[in-house]
Amino acid sequence: MTITRRLALGGLAAAPLLSAPALRAQAPVEIVFNYPIAVGGPITRIIDGYCEDFARANPGFRVKPIYAGSYQDTLTKTLTAMRGGDAPQMACLLAVDIFTLIGEDAVLAWDDLPGAEKPWLDSFYPSFLENSRTAGKTWGVPFQRSTVVMYWNKEAFREAGLNPETPPADWAQQVEFAQKLTKRQGDATSQWGMQIPSSGFPYWLFQGLTTQNDVRLMNAEGNRTFFNDPKVAEALQYWMDLSMKHRVHPAGIVEWGTTPRDFFERKVAMMWTTTGNLTNVRANAPFPFGVGMLPAGKRRGSPTGGGNLYVFKSASAAQREGAVRFVKFLTTPERAAQWGIDTGYVAVTPAAFETPAMRAHVAGFPAAAVARDQLEHAVAELSTQENQRVTKALNDNLQAALTGRKQAAPAMADAQAEAERILRSYR
Amino acid sequence: MTQAPALPRLGTILETTAAWLLALVWVAPLLYAVWAAIHPTGYATRFELFAPLTLSNFAAAWEAAPFARYFLNTFALVTMVLVAQFVLCTLAAFAFARAAFWGSGILFGLVLVQLMIMPDILLVENYRTMRALGLVDTILSIGLPYMASAFGIFLLRQTFKQVPKELEEAARVEGCGTLGILLRVYVPLAKPTYLAYGLTSVSYHWNNFLWPLVITNSVETRPLTVGLSVFASTDQGIDWAIISAATLMTSAPLLLGFLLFQRQFVQSFMRAGIK
Repeated sequence: MTITRRLALGGLAAAPLLSAPALRAQAPVEIVFNYPIAVGGPITRIIDGYCEDFARANPGFRVKPIYAGSYQDTLTKTLTAMRGGDAPQMACLLAVDIFTLIGEDAVLAWDDLPGAEKPWLDSFYPSFLENSRTAGKTWGVPFQRSTVVMYWNKEAFREAGLNPETPPADWAQQVEFAQKLTKRQGDATSQWGMQIPSSGFPYWLFQGLTTQNDVRLMNAEGNRTFFNDPKVAEALQYWMDLSMKHRVHPAGIVEWGTTPRDFFERKVAMMWTTTGNLTNVRANAPFPFGVGMLPAGKRRGSPTGGGNLYVFKSASAAQREGAVRFVKFLTTPERAAQWGIDTGYVAVTPAAFETPAMRAHVAGFPAAAVARDQLEHAVAELSTQENQRVTKALNDNLQAALTGRKQAAPAMADAQAEAERILRSYR
Repeated sequence: MTQAPALPRLGTILETTAAWLLALVWVAPLLYAVWAAIHPTGYATRFELFAPLTLSNFAAAWEAAPFARYFLNTFALVTMVLVAQFVLCTLAAFAFARAAFWGSGILFGLVLVQLMIMPDILLVENYRTMRALGLVDTILSIGLPYMASAFGIFLLRQTFKQVPKELEEAARVEGCGTLGILLRVYVPLAKPTYLAYGLTSVSYHWNNFLWPLVITNSVETRPLTVGLSVFASTDQGIDWAIISAATLMTSAPLLLGFLLFQRQFVQSFMRAGIK
C-alpha cells in the first residue's frame, strides 16, 4: 500500500512544484513564526497585536504567527516541518533546547545576523543569557522567561501566628513555618504547609534546591552532569524529608498543573511555582498573597526557565533582516515591560524595569519585582546535549525517590550513570 | 446440565457485579468531567451535593477559542476521510477478494504490511509529500495519508470472501455487470462491517492529534483536538472546570452518536467480528 500510494503521489507531485513560485513578486517579506501556547487564552491576541504593530511600523515585512500547543508540541512541529523542507524562519522554543537545535543544525547564531550588534545582545539579564549562549555565540534571544518563586497565603500565615509579611528566609525556617501551617484533623490533612510540584519536569524545581545547596547540575558545554555529587543527594533528601519526615508536604508526586488551584482552595499555604503564574494567582487567589524569593540553603538560588527566540537557517537574507528587526521590536524596553505586566513573565532587560509603566506597576504590585531581584541568584536551567533523554533520567529518579521507591543517594547515582552513558560520546 | 441450580445464579450475580464495576470504572472520568464542567471552578475537586450549578464554564470555553470553526473543520475532515475510505477500500477489497490476478497475494501482503507501521513514523515523509503537492495547511492534507486504509481493505476483503459465490452467480444470470454485483450484492451484505469500520474511523480521526498539529497552521484548517490544546496552558496551571467543559463539548457529538445508535453499533461489531 505504501508503495502504490507513493508511486501515485510521485506523479502528481511534479505539477504544483512548477507553478508555485510565480505568484510572489512585490508582496512584503513574510516571516513564519512558530509560537507555543504555554500560557492560556488571551496570549494569542497579544502576539497577534505585536505582529500587526510591527507590520504597520515596517511595511516591508510581515510576521505570520503559527500557534502550536505546548513547547514540546511546538518543537515537534518545527523539527518535522524542517526535515520536510519547510522550516519556519523563527520560533519561540525552550531556552534549554539550545543544544538540540544546534545539534540538528537548525538555527543561526544571532551574532551572525545583520543588524544584531553586540551591545544589544548584551543588554539582557546575564542569567537569562547563560542558557542562550554556548561556544561563544548567542543562539537564542530571551523572550518569555521565568524563574521559580514562592507564593504564600497571608491569611494562613496570620492564622498560624506568623507574620504575614515575611516568608521563610532559609531551609530551617521553611520547615518550621510549614509545620505551623499544616492543619491536621486526625489522619486527614486539610491544609498542607507547602508544595513543590514534581510532575512533568521535577528537575526544574529540584534545581532550585540544588542551587540553594550550592551545587551545579551540569557544565557550560552541556556534556557533563554532576548528579552524583553528595550535595545533590542532600538537596533531594531535604525535599523527601518535607513529606516523609516532617509531614508538611503531600506525599508522592505533586501535580504541577493543579498546584495553583490547590493554593487558591487553601489546600496548601506556601507553593513553589513559576513567575509565569503571577497574573493567574493575582486574578484568582481569593485571599491576600505574598510572593518571595525561594528560601536560602547555603545560598539563595533558583533556575531560570521559559522560552527564547530562535532564527532558523531556512531564512533568506531579507527574512534574517526582518527577524532581527522584529525581535528588536519585541524587546524594546516599553514593549518588554508591557509584556511582563500582561503575562507575569520577567521582563528581559534591566531597561524595561526603568520604564514609567513598569515603575508604576511595581509600585502598585511589588511582587512583580521579586523575580527580577532573584535573578542575581539565578542559574541556567538544566540543559545538556540530548537534553530530553538526560532530563528524563533525572526526572525518573527524582520521582522514584519522592514516591519512596529509592533512597536519595542511590537514585542520584543511577541518574548520573544514565546521563554518563548518554553524554560520553559528546566529549 | 448436572450443576445445581444455585451455582449458575451465583455466576450470574458475579458476572453482573463485575460488569457494573467495570462500567463504573470506565464511566468515572466522564462523570468527573460532567461534574467539573457544570459547577464553578472551586468545586472541581470538592464534592458537595448541592453545589451551585452553572453553564458559564461552557460559555468561557466557547469564547476562548473559535470552536465553531474547529467543529466545522473536524466534521469536514471525518466526512471526507470516511467517504474516500469507503470508496477506495470497497474497490480494493473487492479486487482482492474476488478477482484472481497475477501478484495479488504479494500486493495484499504489502497492504497488510502497512498495518504494522505506526503512522507517526511517517510524519516527516508525509510532510514532504504534502509539501510537494502544495497541500500544507489544508484539510485535505490531514486526511490524505489515511484514505487508502489497510485496515479497511483487510476487513472488507474478509467480509466479501464470506459472501456465497452462488449469490454472485445468480446476479450475473439476472444480467448484472461487475459493478452492479459489487453494489447490489456485496455492499448491502457487508453493511455491519461498514458501520463498525465507519465508527472506528470516525472516532480515530475525530481524536487524532499529532499529524493535524504538524500539518496545519491556521484556525481555518485545524480540527478540534489541535484547537483544544490551546487549553493545555501548563505554565499557568490548569483550570479543570473549563478544560472539562471544552472536552465535553468537543466529544459530545461522538458521545451522542454512540448513545443514539448504540444497539446498531454493538450488533454490527458482533457481526463484523471486531471485538
